[in-house]
Amino acid sequence: MARTYNGIRELRADTVTVNDWGGSSVAAAQQYPQKCMGRADRSFSQGLQCQQINSVMALLSMEDAAFVVHSPLGCAGCCSMANDWFRVGQIHRGSFALRNARVLVTNLDERDIVHGGEAKLRKALHLAWERYAPKLIFVFTSCASGIIADDVDAISTEVNEELTDTKIIPIHCEGFKSKVCASGYDAAFLAITKYVLADTPRGETIPGLLNLFAPPTVSYMDQLEIERILGDIGIQANYIPFYSSLEKIQKLPRAQGSTAICKVFADEFMKELEDRYGIPYSHTIMPIGTRNTDRWLRGVAKIMGKEEEAEAYIARERETYLPLVADLRAKLQGKRVFICGGTGRSFAAAALIDDFGMKLVGMETPTYDDEAQLDIENLNRIHGDFVLDVANMMPFEQVNLLKRLKPDVFIGVPVWAARLGLPTTHVLDIKRPTMGYRNLVYLGSKIAAQIENPGYNEKIAAHAHLPYKPSWYESDPFKFIR
Amino acid sequence: MSEILENPHGNCALGGANATFTALRRVIAIYHSGPGCAMQTTAGEASQGSLRLPYYTSYTAIPCTNMLEREVVFGGEEKLEKHLEGALEILDADAFFVLTGCTAGIIGDDVQSVVQRFQAEGHPVYAVETAGFLGESYRGHEIAWNALFEHIVDKNPPARDAALVNIFGIVPYHDPYFEGNLEEITRLLEKLGLRVNTFFSHGQGIAEVKSSSSAALNIVLSPWLLKGLAEKYEKSFGIPSLRFAGAPLGATDTAAFLRAVGTALGKEEAAERVIAQEEEWYYRYLETGIGLQSWRRFSIVGESGNVIPITRFLANDYSFTPEIAICTDVLFRPADKAFVTEQLTNLEYAQPPELLFTGDQWEINQALARYPDAALLIGSTNEHEFAIAHGQQFFLACYPNTERLIYNRSCAGYRGALTLIEDIYSNL
Repeated sequence: MARTYNGIRELRADTVTVNDWGGSSVAAAQQYPQKCMGRADRSFSQGLQCQQINSVMALLSMEDAAFVVHSPLGCAGCCSMANDWFRVGQIHRGSFALRNARVLVTNLDERDIVHGGEAKLRKALHLAWERYAPKLIFVFTSCASGIIADDVDAISTEVNEELTDTKIIPIHCEGFKSKVCASGYDAAFLAITKYVLADTPRGETIPGLLNLFAPPTVSYMDQLEIERILGDIGIQANYIPFYSSLEKIQKLPRAQGSTAICKVFADEFMKELEDRYGIPYSHTIMPIGTRNTDRWLRGVAKIMGKEEEAEAYIARERETYLPLVADLRAKLQGKRVFICGGTGRSFAAAALIDDFGMKLVGMETPTYDDEAQLDIENLNRIHGDFVLDVANMMPFEQVNLLKRLKPDVFIGVPVWAARLGLPTTHVLDIKRPTMGYRNLVYLGSKIAAQIENPGYNEKIAAHAHLPYKPSWYESDPFKFIR
Repeated sequence: MSEILENPHGNCALGGANATFTALRRVIAIYHSGPGCAMQTTAGEASQGSLRLPYYTSYTAIPCTNMLEREVVFGGEEKLEKHLEGALEILDADAFFVLTGCTAGIIGDDVQSVVQRFQAEGHPVYAVETAGFLGESYRGHEIAWNALFEHIVDKNPPARDAALVNIFGIVPYHDPYFEGNLEEITRLLEKLGLRVNTFFSHGQGIAEVKSSSSAALNIVLSPWLLKGLAEKYEKSFGIPSLRFAGAPLGATDTAAFLRAVGTALGKEEAAERVIAQEEEWYYRYLETGIGLQSWRRFSIVGESGNVIPITRFLANDYSFTPEIAICTDVLFRPADKAFVTEQLTNLEYAQPPELLFTGDQWEINQALARYPDAALLIGSTNEHEFAIAHGQQFFLACYPNTERLIYNRSCAGYRGALTLIEDIYSNL
């Protein structure tokens, strides 16, 4: 195989990955290609999202699977959160017979840390099989299991030989290995390649079948909208891995093309599918807003040979929805926006607000790499210079920037910005729609409604407590990046 | 040795310690841990209890060293030192507790030495070993209280304050009803003429922890938590403690609670007066709701501190029939199990329920299936699936909870009993 990728995004050979940077977006676009952006660190930081969380989120809704988390109890905290999404997703899909994801935690304790936890892992795998006879058993590693060096692969292989009709799939998602939580998505797909696709016969290509990779944060309303758009131009989607199954994974090699809804989801995996099976892929942007939806759809249409249909579709949608967008534009024109989000959402949202004539003044995005460079160049063309903070959240920098920039609206996780009294809204809503033309109107109305009625935030701000000293707001927001 | 657990009903020691510290007003926990611990413990603790988040620092706002491979290999003390400098520069708090995650615990960073430098400069910074592998949330709560005792509690208290009591045993942000319960218990004790240190409600914090050593009585509202701490208070300051199996719920157990506290503090008459007043008020409501619900058989699953008060109230005061009670918290000491068993067995009229101690979802579901006639299942979000599959009414009262927002609804005292009846009816 031509490519060897180990799942750690900052170690990708074909791009530099920067996680800690702050400054002007125009400066970023100039410095990055000259390799003088620098791989700094933060000498003060707040909690990151670890890659294990992403691995768990990606897979926990797989229908015929059980899960073993090889860790102390705390590392299963995200399973409870992902299980909530899984349950909500079941309701949205019309099933009220709610089911929990089957998650067994090895519950590593002090003794296991000293003597090793392999016996417990073995036992947990057997229990998972005895209880549920799942077709797939995913094993998630943790910092603890990694540092004590339990041989998770060997145990998985051994136990797999003792069991019938199941595949045990160990996923190496130890948190300490990567600063980029999206690495956890890659870890999951690498494991699927190694343990499922390796012995899956390719089968015949199904014309019109598209592998559609979507992270679990994409709501069912969005899934329906994307499937509707694709169906309209004659493409069927194999939607992976949310509410997916072994059967659907085994169908991956038979697709005519691949694409993803999120920029950092399955991007490396799609390259793998191209290398292995010659399946072309389209990797553009998240389909939020007219510009992005067009770009996303054209990318897909190109690899699927549906360009004419796509153009016709775009024309129809524009005719239907642009007048509605124009109405919103009248309300939102000129409003100044600050955006904080994951890689896919932040870039997509930053382009989306241009549909409404809004102006980007600041943005937080988790990583800067070759792909981000293209997005930033694009955004600089649309919005001109804005403040860029390469940060996975870092609320302390966010509140400092917000006090300085005083945007009219904040788009992202509202917990801190709301306490400054700013109108807040978000484009990541796992319970509601955000994508495609139709949902653009929904999003725009949501933003307009918040600007029009900021009562809750304004009133709570008068009584809210943020933990920062007044002097922090006077300091350079990027002073800890060095 | 800890057990493999399916869909666990608890988080790790770090999670429990963080929930405890951050429930104190203007206190900040700083994680010396891997990336992800801040999110995992918040997602797995506070936001699975009442869906609320600690108001000061939570989730990705928790200061954290985000230890990566480099620190695993070379140690993370230097990184921690830098982070503490930054934290003290920009954060405003009454105290900072540096909590270690598994990574720091395994590689053996000397956090204490790092912290000492800042203490020498007069900063209120303290190191606490809270690696997740040390145990579950409850262990973290005990570790946190031991640290508070060591570092904050006034070791030379002024004279005993006869009107001051301390409340222990309710794990903040973990217990879905923690704040409402503390408010109701406080309301009742104040009627006895007492002032109450709850530490985790009413905007309390470091000042109340400090003054706790001059209290007249420690009231522990848990069947087994903080036994060591109660002994320390007794030994160091001569403060006796009264232990109850949880926050008392309903007229019978709440009256017993008020009498016990009254007796301990020489306020017997006040206690009787308050009981009479409250019962008059409470039973007038009950009279207006007779016949609205029939006498149900129920199963209950949760931590013993929640299971006992709810079971006893529904059985003793509301004539529901308990079929099976499953305690999901890990009880190591035989005496603890015996106390829990006694509390759930000695009911006034009802036959005692079957008792089971397990936190494993598969075992819980197998046990519940033995009681198909139960009409009501009280438990956590984990048990909702079983109730739906078996056509039982479901009521969510225990951790983990991912479906009910609870600010200060209580499940204690007289008001909590009325609320519980309302909730069960509304959920029919």
